[in-house]
Amino acid sequence: MEQPIREQDGTQSAWYPERQKSAYILRQLVTRDFKLKYRRSFLGVLWSVLNPLLMMLIMAAVFSTMMRFSSDGIPSYPLYIILGNVTFNLMSEATSQGMRSIIDAASLLKKVRIRRWVFPVEKVMFAMLNFAFSLIAVLIVMFAVGVYPTWTALLLPLFLVYLGMFCVGLSMLLSSLSVFFRDVMHLWTVVLTAWTYATPLFYPVSILPEWMLALERFNPMYHFVGYVRELLLYQQVPSIALNLTCLGFGAGMLIIGLLVFRKTERKFILYI
Amino acid sequence: MSQKSASIPWVAIASIDDSALENDGYVALNISFEGAEPEEPRFLYNWRSGDGLERGETPEQQLSNFNFLPPHDGRFYLSAQISTADGTVQNVGEWVLVGEDDGPIFTRPPIPDDSVEPVIEVNDVSMVFNMASEQFNSLKEYFIAIARHELNFKAFRALDHISFTVRRGEAFGLVGTNGSGKSTMLKIIAGVLDASEGSCTVTGSIAPLIELGAGFDLDLTARENIYLNGALLGYRKEFIDEHLHDIIEFAELENFMDMPLKNYSSGMVARIAFAIATITEPDILIVDETLAVGDFLFQQKCQRRIQELVGTGNVTVLLVSHSIEMVEGMCDRVCWIEKGKQRMIGPTDEVCAAYRSLGR
Repeated sequence: MEQPIREQDGTQSAWYPERQKSAYILRQLVTRDFKLKYRRSFLGVLWSVLNPLLMMLIMAAVFSTMMRFSSDGIPSYPLYIILGNVTFNLMSEATSQGMRSIIDAASLLKKVRIRRWVFPVEKVMFAMLNFAFSLIAVLIVMFAVGVYPTWTALLLPLFLVYLGMFCVGLSMLLSSLSVFFRDVMHLWTVVLTAWTYATPLFYPVSILPEWMLALERFNPMYHFVGYVRELLLYQQVPSIALNLTCLGFGAGMLIIGLLVFRKTERKFILYI
Repeated sequence: MSQKSASIPWVAIASIDDSALENDGYVALNISFEGAEPEEPRFLYNWRSGDGLERGETPEQQLSNFNFLPPHDGRFYLSAQISTADGTVQNVGEWVLVGEDDGPIFTRPPIPDDSVEPVIEVNDVSMVFNMASEQFNSLKEYFIAIARHELNFKAFRALDHISFTVRRGEAFGLVGTNGSGKSTMLKIIAGVLDASEGSCTVTGSIAPLIELGAGFDLDLTARENIYLNGALLGYRKEFIDEHLHDIIEFAELENFMDMPLKNYSSGMVARIAFAIATITEPDILIVDETLAVGDFLFQQKCQRRIQELVGTGNVTVLLVSHSIEMVEGMCDRVCWIEKGKQRMIGPTDEVCAAYRSLGR
């Protein structure tokens, strides 16, 4: 049973009430991660912009000249690649960091009573922050290839809500599973690699054979990547079907993650 | 504060000369230099009493020694800030003892009567762990065990029907040998572990000492760590802003605030942890072995601060230790847990005497 912490008025003004406390912890943890990521690097936060740009250049060079993928129907292949990459990176960074978050906070969780969900959620928030920086890189590419953002870009926050729910759910699920079975941590890197190739990030959807295309319907990242490309590459309002699919994957994963996390979190301390 | 540690050609050394103490009543702090001689150094001298309550400083001067007239007997910390025109600053200091040692600094609080409100109520708590046969570290082991129908539970009672009540303003000790269940009891009180049987009710805020590696990040500076730690304890940001200076001062880290924590000694980290936990009046202060890493001067200072907190009558201290001396010095009542069973509970002297006889 959770022990009730009774708030006392007057002398207790040094402390936040429970909800604000979690919000402030989240803020402090994101700040910490941000500082640690860029501390002692010369270009600092510029790397968040440079990194996706450089990755995109390499992939564009490799796949358009060596593999000779036909990019018919894609307004700009570089933009196609970078949108896929930054979106997939958001998910893979959030989940692989989120997965370890509970184990990494072990010594703290053994001592202080903190809402345990803040740790996986914080990692997702940090990945979203990095995603925001990489959007600058996307913008640079858009201007470089002459695809200027239109008002459809205003739907990005909605997209981030879908993807954010998905990442939070998956991170919570993975973080609680990895507490009980450390195998999950090793397995997940393999799964992420397989997932990268299974999702049309750097190859056009048109090269997929019929059976593969049918399978992609069950790949959440296929839909999420498709959604963001609709917004920024094809500059159309995503169909209601696509919206519902993304919402479904996001909310579904969030519910599964929450249920597993809530059911298991009391036992964490026995295994970390 | 600019510290160009890489390019400093000189190093200041502080030494205490108390030969004039008896006749003239002052102590001299002399500054000398190793390496090169600094150009036109300027000196700013500070002093403060051992409990940090009294302090003073001189105007900036060119003299490399400082005669300090102690206001009374006790421990004092004399320090100097030496700066040169090129912006290099160094700080050195020494402790000095004037007169007799200030004696036992901690007096036990009186045992409160039944009318005082209880803050920790442990009611018939038992904790049962399922032993190693059930803990699997990999999926493979787990499935093999399922396949062989070996998922049996070997119960281990870490705590067996423990009951006690701690009232507001008490300093309560939990003693026991290693592995006796003290830490398990502490985790249940802190609310991070749920008891298998029985109940534990805690009223009010809990401030634990967070050790190195828990709420502290080695790559962040002391200042950043104070905010992070404060957040984890649930302090308001404005409150930390307001008391940042007090925390720094109590931890005696004035000149190291912007240095990454990995360059600190474990004692320095323990100081920050203690300073953060006690900067306000928590309802319950949990003091464990984390404190033991500080040096004796800091431990004395901590004990004074604990004394102050207990003296307000609002703060309850829960001391967990296998060192009987510390418990004897501070606690009014003690609970002795041995192999998960409550062996004895009562006034410190009785319980400690029984605990000591265990070794014989």
